[in-house]
Amino acid sequence: MADARAKAEETGRFIVERQYVDDRRIHEPKKLDAGGIDISGRWGVLIEPRTITTFDHTLMRQVQRESGGEFIHRCFQCGNCTAACPTAEEHPMFNPRYFIHVVRMGYSAELENVRKYVYLCASCGRCTEACPREVDPSGVMAAIGTVVRKLS
Amino acid sequence: MNESVLVIGGGPAGLRAAADLADLGTSVVLVERRNELGGAPIRWKYKTLAPELRPTEEVMDPMIAAVESHPLVKVYRDSVVERVSRAAGNFHITLRTNGAGAREIPVRAIVAATGFEHFDASRDPRYEYGRAANVIGIHELEGMLKESRVVCKDGRKPKRIAFIFCVGSRDRATNPWCCTVCCGVSIKQGIELKRLLGDVEIYNIYIDIRTFGLWEQLYWTSMEEYGLNFIRGRVSQIYDTGTQLLVKGEDTLVRGPFEVLMDMVVLAVGIAPGEGTAQAAKVLDLNCNSFGFLQPRHPNVHYDSGKEGVFLAGACVAPMSIEEAILAGSAAAMQAAKFVREPALQGAAD
Ligand SMILES: Cc1cc2nc3c(=O)[nH]c(=O)nc-3n(C[C@H](O)[C@H](O)[C@H](O)COP(=O)(O)OP(=O)(O)OC[C@H]3O[C@@H](n4cnc5c(N)ncnc54)[C@H](O)[C@@H]3O)c2cc1C
Ligand code: SF4
Ligand code: SF4
Ligand code: SF4
Repeated sequence: MADARAKAEETGRFIVERQYVDDRRIHEPKKLDAGGIDISGRWGVLIEPRTITTFDHTLMRQVQRESGGEFIHRCFQCGNCTAACPTAEEHPMFNPRYFIHVVRMGYSAELENVRKYVYLCASCGRCTEACPREVDPSGVMAAIGTVVRKLS
Repeated sequence: MNESVLVIGGGPAGLRAAADLADLGTSVVLVERRNELGGAPIRWKYKTLAPELRPTEEVMDPMIAAVESHPLVKVYRDSVVERVSRAAGNFHITLRTNGAGAREIPVRAIVAATGFEHFDASRDPRYEYGRAANVIGIHELEGMLKESRVVCKDGRKPKRIAFIFCVGSRDRATNPWCCTVCCGVSIKQGIELKRLLGDVEIYNIYIDIRTFGLWEQLYWTSMEEYGLNFIRGRVSQIYDTGTQLLVKGEDTLVRGPFEVLMDMVVLAVGIAPGEGTAQAAKVLDLNCNSFGFLQPRHPNVHYDSGKEGVFLAGACVAPMSIEEAILAGSAAAMQAAKFVREPALQGAAD
Protein backbone atom coordinates (compact mmCIF):
# COMPACT_ATOMS: atom_id res chain seq x y z
CA MET A 1 0.00 0.00 0.00
CA ALA A 2 2.69 2.47 1.02
CA ASP A 3 4.66 1.37 -2.02
CA ALA A 4 1.75 2.01 -4.33
CA ARG A 5 1.24 5.46 -2.89
CA ALA A 6 4.88 6.36 -3.27
CA LYS A 7 4.78 5.16 -6.86
CA ALA A 8 1.64 7.14 -7.63
CA GLU A 9 3.18 10.28 -6.20
CA GLU A 10 6.16 9.75 -8.37
CA THR A 11 4.28 9.46 -11.68
CA GLY A 12 3.35 12.83 -13.03
CA ARG A 13 4.76 14.72 -10.07
CA PHE A 14 5.06 17.86 -12.21
CA ILE A 15 1.37 17.88 -13.04
CA VAL A 16 -0.63 20.71 -11.52
CA GLU A 17 -3.81 19.42 -9.76
CA ARG A 18 -2.34 15.92 -9.99
CA GLN A 19 -5.22 14.34 -8.03
CA TYR A 20 -7.59 14.80 -10.98
CA VAL A 21 -5.52 12.70 -13.36
CA ASP A 22 -5.58 8.93 -13.00
CA ASP A 23 -2.24 7.09 -13.42
CA ARG A 24 -3.19 5.26 -16.53
CA ARG A 25 -3.51 8.46 -18.56
CA ILE A 26 -0.01 9.69 -17.69
CA HIS A 27 2.84 8.84 -20.04
CA GLU A 28 6.18 9.70 -18.58
CA PRO A 29 9.10 8.23 -20.45
CA LYS A 30 12.14 7.63 -18.21
CA LYS A 31 14.38 9.03 -20.86
CA LEU A 32 13.33 11.17 -23.79
CA ASP A 33 15.59 12.33 -26.53
CA ALA A 34 14.69 14.90 -29.18
CA GLY A 35 17.31 15.03 -31.90
CA GLY A 36 20.21 14.53 -29.52
CA ILE A 37 18.80 16.83 -26.83
CA ASP A 38 17.81 15.19 -23.59
CA ILE A 39 14.31 16.35 -22.73
CA SER A 40 13.60 13.82 -19.98
CA GLY A 41 11.65 15.01 -17.00
CA ARG A 42 8.62 17.30 -17.01
CA TRP A 43 8.84 18.19 -20.72
CA GLY A 44 8.30 14.59 -21.72
CA VAL A 45 5.10 14.09 -19.70
CA LEU A 46 2.01 13.41 -21.75
CA ILE A 47 -1.53 13.31 -20.37
CA GLU A 48 -4.06 11.46 -22.47
CA PRO A 49 -7.39 13.30 -22.59
CA ARG A 50 -10.19 11.54 -20.71
CA THR A 51 -12.63 12.26 -23.52
CA ILE A 52 -14.54 9.25 -24.80
CA THR A 53 -13.89 8.99 -28.53
CA THR A 54 -15.86 5.92 -29.47
CA PHE A 55 -18.62 3.61 -28.32
CA ASP A 56 -17.29 0.08 -28.68
CA HIS A 57 -20.03 -2.53 -28.72
CA THR A 58 -17.79 -5.62 -28.68
CA LEU A 59 -17.48 -5.49 -24.89
CA MET A 60 -21.23 -5.75 -24.37
CA ARG A 61 -21.48 -8.59 -26.87
CA GLN A 62 -18.78 -10.52 -25.01
CA VAL A 63 -20.71 -10.12 -21.76
CA GLN A 64 -23.96 -11.19 -23.46
CA ARG A 65 -22.28 -14.44 -24.47
CA GLU A 66 -21.36 -15.34 -20.87
CA SER A 67 -23.92 -17.02 -18.69
CA GLY A 68 -25.94 -14.46 -16.73
CA GLY A 69 -24.98 -11.57 -19.00
CA GLU A 70 -27.47 -12.00 -21.81
CA PHE A 71 -29.92 -9.28 -20.73
CA ILE A 72 -27.41 -6.46 -20.10
CA HIS A 73 -28.86 -4.42 -23.01
CA ARG A 74 -32.19 -4.13 -21.19
CA CYS A 75 -30.73 -1.86 -18.49
CA PHE A 76 -32.14 1.69 -18.42
CA GLN A 77 -29.84 2.89 -15.65
CA CYS A 78 -32.40 3.41 -12.90
CA GLY A 79 -29.93 2.45 -10.18
CA ASN A 80 -32.29 0.18 -8.29
CA CYS A 81 -29.64 -2.57 -8.26
CA THR A 82 -27.08 -0.30 -6.60
CA ALA A 83 -29.71 0.94 -4.16
CA ALA A 84 -30.44 -2.66 -3.10
CA CYS A 85 -26.82 -3.82 -3.03
CA PRO A 86 -25.22 -4.43 0.41
CA THR A 87 -21.70 -4.27 -1.06
CA ALA A 88 -22.31 -0.87 -2.65
CA GLU A 89 -23.43 0.35 0.74
CA GLU A 90 -19.99 -0.46 2.13
CA HIS A 91 -17.72 0.21 -0.81
CA PRO A 92 -17.76 3.51 -2.72
CA MET A 93 -16.11 2.01 -5.81
CA PHE A 94 -18.64 -0.80 -6.12
CA ASN A 95 -21.67 0.15 -8.21
CA PRO A 96 -23.44 -2.47 -10.37
CA ARG A 97 -25.39 0.15 -12.35
CA TYR A 98 -22.13 1.88 -13.22
CA PHE A 99 -20.33 -1.32 -14.28
CA ILE A 100 -23.28 -2.21 -16.50
CA HIS A 101 -23.23 1.16 -18.27
CA VAL A 102 -19.46 1.14 -18.72
CA VAL A 103 -19.74 -2.25 -20.43
CA ARG A 104 -22.97 -1.40 -22.28
CA MET A 105 -21.32 1.62 -23.97
CA GLY A 106 -17.89 -0.02 -24.31
CA TYR A 107 -15.82 2.34 -22.17
CA SER A 108 -12.82 -0.03 -21.99
CA ALA A 109 -10.40 2.47 -20.43
CA GLU A 110 -12.82 3.09 -17.59
CA LEU A 111 -13.40 -0.65 -17.17
CA GLU A 112 -9.63 -0.98 -16.70
CA ASN A 113 -9.86 1.54 -13.86
CA VAL A 114 -12.64 -0.24 -12.02
CA ARG A 115 -12.14 -3.88 -12.98
CA LYS A 116 -10.76 -5.04 -9.66
CA TYR A 117 -13.87 -3.89 -7.82
CA VAL A 118 -16.15 -6.06 -9.94
CA TYR A 119 -15.11 -9.08 -7.87
CA LEU A 120 -16.41 -7.55 -4.66
CA CYS A 121 -19.87 -8.80 -5.71
CA ALA A 122 -21.21 -11.23 -3.12
CA SER A 123 -23.68 -12.83 -5.55
CA CYS A 124 -26.42 -12.31 -3.00
CA GLY A 125 -28.96 -11.59 -5.74
CA ARG A 126 -30.68 -8.63 -4.09
CA CYS A 127 -30.08 -6.49 -7.16
CA THR A 128 -31.78 -9.05 -9.36
CA GLU A 129 -34.84 -9.03 -7.10
CA ALA A 130 -34.96 -5.22 -7.29
CA CYS A 131 -34.38 -4.75 -11.02
CA PRO A 132 -37.56 -3.53 -12.80
CA ARG A 133 -36.41 -4.63 -16.25
CA GLU A 134 -35.28 -8.17 -15.49
CA VAL A 135 -31.68 -7.47 -16.41
CA ASP A 136 -30.44 -9.93 -13.76
CA PRO A 137 -27.66 -7.58 -12.63
CA SER A 138 -26.25 -10.26 -10.33
CA GLY A 139 -25.75 -12.54 -13.34
CA VAL A 140 -24.37 -9.62 -15.35
CA MET A 141 -21.79 -8.91 -12.62
CA ALA A 142 -20.60 -12.51 -12.81
CA ALA A 143 -20.46 -12.31 -16.61
CA ILE A 144 -18.48 -9.05 -16.50
CA GLY A 145 -16.10 -10.73 -14.04
CA THR A 146 -15.56 -13.58 -16.48
CA VAL A 147 -14.98 -11.26 -19.43
CA VAL A 148 -12.55 -9.10 -17.46
CA ARG A 149 -10.61 -12.23 -16.50
CA LYS A 150 -10.52 -13.45 -20.09
CA LEU A 151 -9.33 -10.06 -21.33
CA SER A 152 -6.37 -9.89 -18.97
CA MET B 1 -77.08 28.45 -43.00
CA ASN B 2 -77.67 29.69 -39.47
CA GLU B 3 -76.50 26.45 -37.90
CA SER B 4 -73.03 26.69 -39.27
CA VAL B 5 -69.69 26.26 -37.49
CA LEU B 6 -66.35 27.53 -38.74
CA VAL B 7 -63.41 25.20 -38.16
CA ILE B 8 -59.98 26.79 -38.67
CA GLY B 9 -57.25 24.27 -39.49
CA GLY B 10 -57.48 20.93 -41.28
CA GLY B 11 -55.11 18.83 -39.15
CA PRO B 12 -56.15 15.85 -37.00
CA ALA B 13 -57.99 18.09 -34.50
CA GLY B 14 -59.81 20.22 -37.09
CA LEU B 15 -60.72 17.24 -39.29
CA ARG B 16 -62.21 15.34 -36.36
CA ALA B 17 -64.15 18.42 -35.21
CA ALA B 18 -65.51 19.02 -38.72
CA ALA B 19 -66.51 15.39 -39.26
CA ASP B 20 -68.24 15.12 -35.89
CA LEU B 21 -70.16 18.37 -36.31
CA ALA B 22 -71.34 17.30 -39.76
CA ASP B 23 -72.39 13.90 -38.44
CA LEU B 24 -74.51 15.72 -35.87
CA GLY B 25 -76.24 17.63 -38.69
CA THR B 26 -74.43 20.92 -38.30
CA SER B 27 -72.99 22.45 -41.42
CA VAL B 28 -69.30 23.20 -41.32
CA VAL B 29 -66.99 25.65 -43.02
CA LEU B 30 -63.49 24.17 -42.84
CA VAL B 31 -60.72 26.64 -43.59
CA GLU B 32 -57.20 25.39 -44.25
CA ARG B 33 -54.44 27.75 -45.19
CA ARG B 34 -52.38 25.16 -47.03
CA ASN B 35 -53.48 23.44 -50.21
CA GLU B 36 -54.02 20.03 -48.64
CA LEU B 37 -55.89 18.64 -45.66
CA GLY B 38 -54.30 16.54 -42.92
CA GLY B 39 -52.06 18.93 -41.02
CA ALA B 40 -48.58 17.93 -39.88
CA PRO B 41 -48.87 14.15 -40.47
CA ILE B 42 -49.63 14.69 -44.18
CA ARG B 43 -47.45 17.74 -44.72
CA TRP B 44 -44.36 16.02 -43.31
CA LYS B 45 -45.28 12.58 -44.73
CA TYR B 46 -45.25 10.64 -41.48
CA LYS B 47 -44.75 7.02 -42.45
CA THR B 48 -46.05 5.37 -39.30
CA LEU B 49 -47.39 6.60 -36.00
CA ALA B 50 -46.05 6.04 -32.54
CA PRO B 51 -46.60 3.98 -30.46
CA GLU B 52 -47.43 0.92 -32.55
CA LEU B 53 -45.87 1.91 -35.87
CA ARG B 54 -49.16 1.58 -37.71
CA PRO B 55 -49.36 3.33 -41.10
CA THR B 56 -50.38 6.99 -40.82
CA GLU B 57 -53.02 6.51 -43.53
CA GLU B 58 -55.04 4.25 -41.22
CA VAL B 59 -55.79 7.25 -39.04
CA MET B 60 -55.69 10.16 -41.47
CA ASP B 61 -57.36 8.81 -44.64
CA PRO B 62 -60.78 8.07 -43.13
CA MET B 63 -60.93 11.51 -41.49
CA ILE B 64 -59.92 13.31 -44.68
CA ALA B 65 -62.37 11.25 -46.75
CA ALA B 66 -65.21 11.88 -44.28
CA VAL B 67 -64.69 15.62 -44.44
CA GLU B 68 -64.23 15.76 -48.21
CA SER B 69 -67.31 13.66 -48.98
CA HIS B 70 -69.72 14.99 -46.37
CA PRO B 71 -72.45 17.15 -47.93
CA LEU B 72 -72.55 19.36 -44.84
CA VAL B 73 -68.83 20.24 -44.94
CA LYS B 74 -67.55 22.95 -47.22
CA VAL B 75 -63.76 22.89 -47.43
CA TYR B 76 -61.79 26.00 -48.35
CA ARG B 77 -58.13 25.24 -49.05
CA ASP B 78 -55.47 27.91 -49.53
CA SER B 79 -57.66 30.10 -47.40
CA VAL B 80 -57.49 32.18 -44.25
CA VAL B 81 -60.05 33.97 -42.14
CA GLU B 82 -59.18 37.60 -42.50
CA ARG B 83 -61.74 39.26 -40.33
CA VAL B 84 -64.34 38.24 -37.79
CA SER B 85 -67.13 40.42 -36.52
CA ARG B 86 -69.93 39.56 -34.18
CA ALA B 87 -73.52 40.72 -34.63
CA ALA B 88 -76.73 39.50 -33.02
CA GLY B 89 -75.26 36.22 -31.78
CA ASN B 90 -73.67 35.44 -35.13
CA PHE B 91 -70.14 35.75 -36.40
CA HIS B 92 -69.52 37.25 -39.81
CA ILE B 93 -66.30 35.98 -41.20
CA THR B 94 -64.35 37.29 -44.14
CA LEU B 95 -62.60 34.47 -45.88
CA ARG B 96 -59.78 35.03 -48.33
CA THR B 97 -58.86 32.26 -50.75
CA ASN B 98 -55.68 32.47 -52.78
CA GLY B 99 -56.61 33.40 -56.32
CA ALA B 100 -60.35 33.55 -55.59
CA GLY B 101 -60.67 36.73 -53.56
CA ALA B 102 -62.67 37.30 -50.41
CA ARG B 103 -66.13 36.18 -49.36
CA GLU B 104 -68.35 36.78 -46.33
CA ILE B 105 -69.89 33.89 -44.46
CA PRO B 106 -72.11 33.96 -41.36
CA VAL B 107 -71.45 31.27 -38.72
CA ARG B 108 -72.79 30.57 -35.24
CA ALA B 109 -69.65 29.18 -33.60
CA ILE B 110 -65.93 28.77 -34.26
CA VAL B 111 -63.44 26.00 -33.53
CA ALA B 112 -59.77 27.05 -33.67
CA ALA B 113 -57.52 24.06 -34.48
CA THR B 114 -54.49 25.77 -35.98
CA GLY B 115 -51.87 23.31 -34.70
CA PHE B 116 -48.13 23.85 -34.46
CA GLU B 117 -44.91 24.38 -36.37
CA HIS B 118 -41.62 22.58 -35.80
CA PHE B 119 -39.00 24.49 -33.90
CA ASP B 120 -36.57 26.01 -36.39
CA ALA B 121 -33.32 24.31 -35.35
CA SER B 122 -31.16 26.88 -37.14
CA ARG B 123 -32.04 29.16 -34.21
CA ASP B 124 -29.75 27.05 -32.02
CA PRO B 125 -26.22 27.39 -33.47
CA ARG B 126 -24.84 24.39 -31.54
CA TYR B 127 -26.32 21.87 -33.93
CA GLU B 128 -25.17 23.18 -37.33
CA TYR B 129 -28.68 22.72 -38.72
CA GLY B 130 -28.98 24.27 -42.15
CA ARG B 131 -25.17 24.30 -42.50
CA ALA B 132 -23.94 20.71 -42.08
CA ALA B 133 -25.45 18.54 -44.80
CA ASN B 134 -26.15 15.49 -42.67
CA VAL B 135 -27.83 17.24 -39.76
CA ILE B 136 -31.59 16.88 -40.27
CA GLY B 137 -34.79 17.19 -38.23
CA ILE B 138 -37.12 14.36 -37.22
CA HIS B 139 -39.78 15.84 -39.50
CA GLU B 140 -37.43 15.55 -42.49
CA LEU B 141 -36.47 11.99 -41.52
CA GLU B 142 -40.19 11.03 -41.62
CA GLY B 143 -40.27 11.83 -45.33
CA MET B 144 -37.05 9.85 -45.98
CA LEU B 145 -38.43 6.85 -44.10
CA LYS B 146 -41.62 7.06 -46.13
CA GLU B 147 -39.56 6.71 -49.31
CA SER B 148 -37.59 3.87 -47.67
CA ARG B 149 -34.40 5.66 -48.60
CA VAL B 150 -32.21 7.02 -45.83
CA VAL B 151 -28.75 8.01 -47.07
CA CYS B 152 -26.21 10.72 -46.35
CA LYS B 153 -26.13 13.69 -48.73
CA ASP B 154 -23.30 12.07 -50.73
CA GLY B 155 -25.29 8.85 -51.15
CA ARG B 156 -23.42 6.87 -48.48
CA LYS B 157 -25.36 4.54 -46.23
CA PRO B 158 -25.12 5.85 -42.66
CA LYS B 159 -23.54 3.45 -40.14
CA ARG B 160 -23.85 5.57 -37.03
CA ILE B 161 -26.77 7.89 -36.43
CA ALA B 162 -27.24 10.10 -33.37
CA PHE B 163 -30.62 11.46 -32.32
CA ILE B 164 -30.38 14.58 -30.20
CA PHE B 165 -33.44 14.98 -28.01
CA CYS B 166 -35.05 18.22 -26.78
CA VAL B 167 -33.79 20.44 -29.62
CA GLY B 168 -35.45 23.79 -29.04
CA SER B 169 -37.24 22.40 -26.00
CA ARG B 170 -36.62 22.54 -22.25
CA ASP B 171 -34.10 25.30 -22.72
CA ARG B 172 -34.33 28.92 -21.55
CA ALA B 173 -32.38 30.05 -24.61
CA THR B 174 -35.10 28.72 -26.91
CA ASN B 175 -38.35 27.19 -25.62
CA PRO B 176 -38.78 26.09 -22.02
CA TRP B 177 -41.58 23.54 -22.51
CA CYS B 178 -41.46 19.81 -23.34
CA CYS B 179 -43.04 18.87 -26.64
CA THR B 180 -44.28 15.52 -25.19
CA VAL B 181 -44.07 13.43 -28.37
CA CYS B 182 -40.54 13.79 -29.75
CA CYS B 183 -39.01 11.20 -27.38
CA GLY B 184 -41.49 8.62 -28.65
CA VAL B 185 -41.22 9.77 -32.26
CA SER B 186 -37.39 9.63 -32.20
CA ILE B 187 -37.37 6.15 -30.70
CA LYS B 188 -39.95 5.02 -33.24
CA GLN B 189 -37.73 6.34 -36.01
CA GLY B 190 -34.70 4.56 -34.51
CA ILE B 191 -36.61 1.28 -34.74
CA GLU B 192 -37.62 2.04 -38.33
CA LEU B 193 -33.99 2.82 -39.21
CA LYS B 194 -32.88 -0.52 -37.76
CA ARG B 195 -35.54 -2.29 -39.79
CA LEU B 196 -34.60 -0.41 -42.96
CA LEU B 197 -30.80 -0.30 -42.74
CA GLY B 198 -29.96 -3.36 -40.65
CA ASP B 199 -26.38 -2.81 -39.54
CA VAL B 200 -26.66 0.71 -38.20
CA GLU B 201 -25.93 1.90 -34.66
CA ILE B 202 -28.42 4.37 -33.22
CA TYR B 203 -27.45 6.65 -30.34
CA ASN B 204 -30.22 8.49 -28.54
CA ILE B 205 -28.76 11.39 -26.58
CA TYR B 206 -31.40 12.45 -24.07
CA ILE B 207 -31.97 14.45 -20.90
CA ASP B 208 -34.94 12.40 -19.70
CA ILE B 209 -36.90 9.84 -21.65
CA ARG B 210 -40.53 10.93 -21.72
CA THR B 211 -42.40 8.16 -23.46
CA PHE B 212 -45.61 8.80 -21.59
CA GLY B 213 -48.42 6.31 -21.02
CA LEU B 214 -48.46 3.32 -23.31
CA TRP B 215 -45.72 4.87 -25.46
CA GLU B 216 -43.27 3.53 -22.81
CA GLN B 217 -43.45 0.21 -24.64
CA LEU B 218 -41.60 1.82 -27.55
CA TYR B 219 -38.69 2.62 -25.25
CA TRP B 220 -38.49 -0.94 -23.94
CA THR B 221 -38.81 -2.57 -27.34
CA SER B 222 -36.21 -0.25 -28.85
CA MET B 223 -33.63 -1.48 -26.32
CA GLU B 224 -34.67 -5.07 -25.94
CA GLU B 225 -35.44 -6.00 -29.54
CA TYR B 226 -33.54 -3.43 -31.59
CA GLY B 227 -30.51 -2.66 -29.40
CA LEU B 228 -30.81 1.14 -29.60
CA ASN B 229 -28.21 2.93 -27.45
CA PHE B 230 -29.19 5.58 -24.92
CA ILE B 231 -26.77 8.20 -23.63
CA ARG B 232 -27.90 10.58 -20.95
CA GLY B 233 -26.57 14.05 -21.59
CA ARG B 234 -26.83 17.08 -23.81
CA VAL B 235 -24.80 17.94 -26.88
CA SER B 236 -22.78 21.14 -26.67
CA GLN B 237 -21.46 21.24 -30.22
CA ILE B 238 -21.41 19.46 -33.54
CA TYR B 239 -18.41 19.87 -35.83
CA ASP B 240 -18.74 19.07 -39.50
CA THR B 241 -15.55 17.31 -40.65
CA GLY B 242 -16.75 17.29 -44.24
CA THR B 243 -17.47 13.56 -44.28
CA GLN B 244 -18.67 12.99 -40.73
CA LEU B 245 -20.06 14.86 -37.77
CA LEU B 246 -18.12 15.08 -34.52
CA VAL B 247 -20.67 15.17 -31.72
CA LYS B 248 -19.49 16.60 -28.44
CA GLY B 249 -21.35 16.02 -25.21
CA GLU B 250 -21.23 14.39 -21.81
CA ASP B 251 -22.37 10.94 -20.78
CA THR B 252 -23.58 12.10 -17.40
CA LEU B 253 -23.96 8.54 -16.09
CA VAL B 254 -20.18 8.10 -16.07
CA ARG B 255 -19.22 11.78 -15.85
CA GLY B 256 -17.55 11.24 -19.19
CA PRO B 257 -17.13 13.94 -21.84
CA PHE B 258 -17.36 12.43 -25.32
CA GLU B 259 -16.45 13.44 -28.86
CA VAL B 260 -17.71 10.77 -31.19
CA LEU B 261 -18.02 10.68 -34.97
CA MET B 262 -21.43 10.09 -36.53
CA ASP B 263 -22.54 9.81 -40.15
CA MET B 264 -25.86 11.50 -39.57
CA VAL B 265 -27.46 13.52 -36.78
CA VAL B 266 -31.22 13.74 -36.36
CA LEU B 267 -32.57 16.58 -34.24
CA ALA B 268 -35.73 15.93 -32.23
CA VAL B 269 -37.10 19.37 -32.95
CA GLY B 270 -39.88 20.48 -30.70
CA ILE B 271 -43.44 21.61 -31.23
CA ALA B 272 -43.85 25.37 -31.28
CA PRO B 273 -46.88 27.57 -31.82
CA GLY B 274 -46.79 28.63 -35.45
CA GLU B 275 -47.56 31.76 -37.33
CA GLY B 276 -50.96 30.26 -38.25
CA THR B 277 -51.94 30.12 -34.61
CA ALA B 278 -50.80 33.70 -34.08
CA GLN B 279 -52.86 34.79 -37.08
CA ALA B 280 -55.99 33.06 -35.77
CA ALA B 281 -55.43 34.49 -32.29
CA LYS B 282 -55.29 37.94 -33.78
CA VAL B 283 -58.46 37.80 -35.89
CA LEU B 284 -60.42 36.00 -33.17
CA ASP B 285 -59.00 38.18 -30.39
CA LEU B 286 -57.95 35.12 -28.36
CA ASN B 287 -55.61 35.04 -25.40
CA CYS B 288 -52.18 33.50 -25.85
CA ASN B 289 -49.92 32.39 -23.03
CA SER B 290 -46.36 33.64 -22.73
CA PHE B 291 -45.22 30.80 -25.02
CA GLY B 292 -47.63 31.75 -27.81
CA PHE B 293 -50.03 28.82 -27.43
CA LEU B 294 -53.75 29.68 -27.31
CA GLN B 295 -54.74 30.04 -23.69
CA PRO B 296 -57.93 28.37 -22.53
CA ARG B 297 -60.00 30.00 -19.81
CA HIS B 298 -58.94 27.25 -17.41
CA PRO B 299 -55.65 25.34 -17.90
CA ASN B 300 -57.38 21.99 -17.38
CA VAL B 301 -60.27 22.59 -19.79
CA HIS B 302 -58.68 23.03 -23.20
CA TYR B 303 -61.74 23.55 -25.40
CA ASP B 304 -63.02 26.62 -23.53
CA SER B 305 -61.46 29.72 -25.10
CA GLY B 306 -63.18 32.01 -22.63
CA LYS B 307 -64.88 33.79 -25.58
CA GLU B 308 -68.50 33.01 -26.19
CA GLY B 309 -68.98 30.66 -29.13
CA VAL B 310 -65.24 30.09 -29.73
CA PHE B 311 -63.68 26.70 -28.92
CA LEU B 312 -60.12 25.42 -29.04
CA ALA B 313 -58.70 22.06 -30.10
CA GLY B 314 -55.35 20.37 -30.63
CA ALA B 315 -51.72 21.36 -30.64
CA CYS B 316 -52.51 25.08 -30.86
CA VAL B 317 -53.30 24.85 -27.12
CA ALA B 318 -50.34 22.71 -26.02
CA PRO B 319 -47.98 20.13 -27.51
CA MET B 320 -49.80 16.83 -27.91
CA SER B 321 -49.99 13.54 -29.76
CA ILE B 322 -52.33 12.74 -32.62
CA GLU B 323 -54.55 10.65 -30.38
CA GLU B 324 -54.93 13.62 -28.05
CA ALA B 325 -55.51 16.04 -30.93
CA ILE B 326 -58.29 13.81 -32.27
CA LEU B 327 -59.94 13.65 -28.85
CA ALA B 328 -59.61 17.41 -28.51
CA GLY B 329 -61.26 17.92 -31.91
CA SER B 330 -64.16 15.73 -30.88
CA ALA B 331 -64.52 17.52 -27.54
CA ALA B 332 -64.54 20.95 -29.16
CA ALA B 333 -67.11 19.74 -31.73
CA MET B 334 -69.41 18.60 -28.93
CA GLN B 335 -69.13 21.96 -27.19
CA ALA B 336 -69.75 23.85 -30.44
CA ALA B 337 -72.77 21.68 -31.28
CA LYS B 338 -74.20 22.28 -27.83
CA PHE B 339 -73.66 26.00 -28.17
CA VAL B 340 -75.27 26.16 -31.60
CA ARG B 341 -78.37 24.29 -30.48
CA GLU B 342 -78.74 25.40 -26.90
CA PRO B 343 -76.70 28.52 -26.26
CA ALA B 344 -78.00 28.51 -22.69
CA LEU B 345 -76.15 25.27 -22.05
CA GLN B 346 -72.71 26.74 -22.61
CA GLY B 347 -70.75 26.48 -19.45
CA ALA B 348 -72.99 23.71 -18.11
CA ALA B 349 -69.96 21.46 -17.98
CA ASP B 350 -68.13 23.71 -15.53
C1 LIG C 1 -41.87 14.98 -36.37
C2 LIG C 1 -43.12 14.71 -35.61
C3 LIG C 1 -43.66 13.44 -35.66
C4 LIG C 1 -44.84 13.16 -34.99
N1 LIG C 1 -45.28 11.87 -34.99
C5 LIG C 1 -46.36 11.56 -34.23
C6 LIG C 1 -46.76 10.21 -34.06
O1 LIG C 1 -46.11 9.28 -34.57
N2 LIG C 1 -47.84 9.95 -33.29
C7 LIG C 1 -48.53 10.97 -32.69
O2 LIG C 1 -49.50 10.70 -32.00
N3 LIG C 1 -48.17 12.25 -32.84
C8 LIG C 1 -47.10 12.57 -33.58
N4 LIG C 1 -46.72 13.89 -33.69
C9 LIG C 1 -47.60 14.94 -33.16
C10 LIG C 1 -48.69 15.31 -34.20
O3 LIG C 1 -48.08 15.80 -35.37
C11 LIG C 1 -49.64 16.32 -33.60
O4 LIG C 1 -50.21 15.79 -32.43
C12 LIG C 1 -50.81 16.65 -34.53
O5 LIG C 1 -50.37 16.97 -35.82
C13 LIG C 1 -51.63 17.79 -33.95
O6 LIG C 1 -52.77 17.99 -34.72
P1 LIG C 1 -53.45 19.41 -34.90
O7 LIG C 1 -54.60 19.22 -35.77
O8 LIG C 1 -53.66 20.02 -33.57
O9 LIG C 1 -52.34 20.34 -35.60
P2 LIG C 1 -51.64 20.27 -37.06
O10 LIG C 1 -51.38 18.90 -37.46
O11 LIG C 1 -50.50 21.22 -36.97
O12 LIG C 1 -52.74 20.88 -38.03
C14 LIG C 1 -53.08 22.23 -38.02
C15 LIG C 1 -53.58 22.66 -39.38
O13 LIG C 1 -54.08 24.00 -39.31
C16 LIG C 1 -53.61 24.75 -40.42
N5 LIG C 1 -53.58 26.15 -40.01
C17 LIG C 1 -52.75 26.70 -39.10
N6 LIG C 1 -53.03 28.00 -38.93
C18 LIG C 1 -54.06 28.28 -39.75
C19 LIG C 1 -54.80 29.46 -39.99
N7 LIG C 1 -54.53 30.59 -39.33
N8 LIG C 1 -55.81 29.40 -40.90
C20 LIG C 1 -56.09 28.24 -41.54
N9 LIG C 1 -55.43 27.10 -41.34
C21 LIG C 1 -54.43 27.11 -40.44
C22 LIG C 1 -52.26 24.14 -40.71
O14 LIG C 1 -51.87 24.40 -42.04
C23 LIG C 1 -52.50 22.65 -40.45
O15 LIG C 1 -52.99 22.00 -41.60
C24 LIG C 1 -45.53 14.18 -34.30
C25 LIG C 1 -45.00 15.45 -34.24
C26 LIG C 1 -43.77 15.72 -34.82
C27 LIG C 1 -43.15 17.04 -34.57
S1 SF4 D 1 -25.42 -9.80 -6.27
FE1 SF4 D 1 -23.60 -8.48 -6.19
S2 SF4 D 1 -24.26 -6.59 -7.21
FE2 SF4 D 1 -26.13 -7.73 -6.69
S3 SF4 D 1 -26.78 -6.96 -4.73
FE3 SF4 D 1 -25.51 -8.73 -4.29
S4 SF4 D 1 -23.42 -7.92 -4.05
FE4 SF4 D 1 -24.64 -6.31 -5.02
S1 SF4 E 1 -31.92 -2.18 -11.48
FE1 SF4 E 1 -31.86 -3.16 -13.49
S2 SF4 E 1 -32.50 -1.57 -14.96
FE2 SF4 E 1 -31.99 -0.56 -13.01
S3 SF4 E 1 -29.83 0.05 -13.25
FE3 SF4 E 1 -29.83 -1.94 -12.23
S4 SF4 E 1 -29.69 -3.44 -13.90
FE4 SF4 E 1 -30.26 -1.49 -14.82
S1 SF4 F 1 -40.72 14.76 -25.50
FE1 SF4 F 1 -38.63 14.10 -25.01
S2 SF4 F 1 -37.35 15.01 -26.64
FE2 SF4 F 1 -39.32 16.10 -26.65
S3 SF4 F 1 -38.95 17.90 -25.35
FE3 SF4 F 1 -39.89 16.30 -24.05
S4 SF4 F 1 -38.16 15.22 -23.13
FE4 SF4 F 1 -37.34 16.41 -24.87
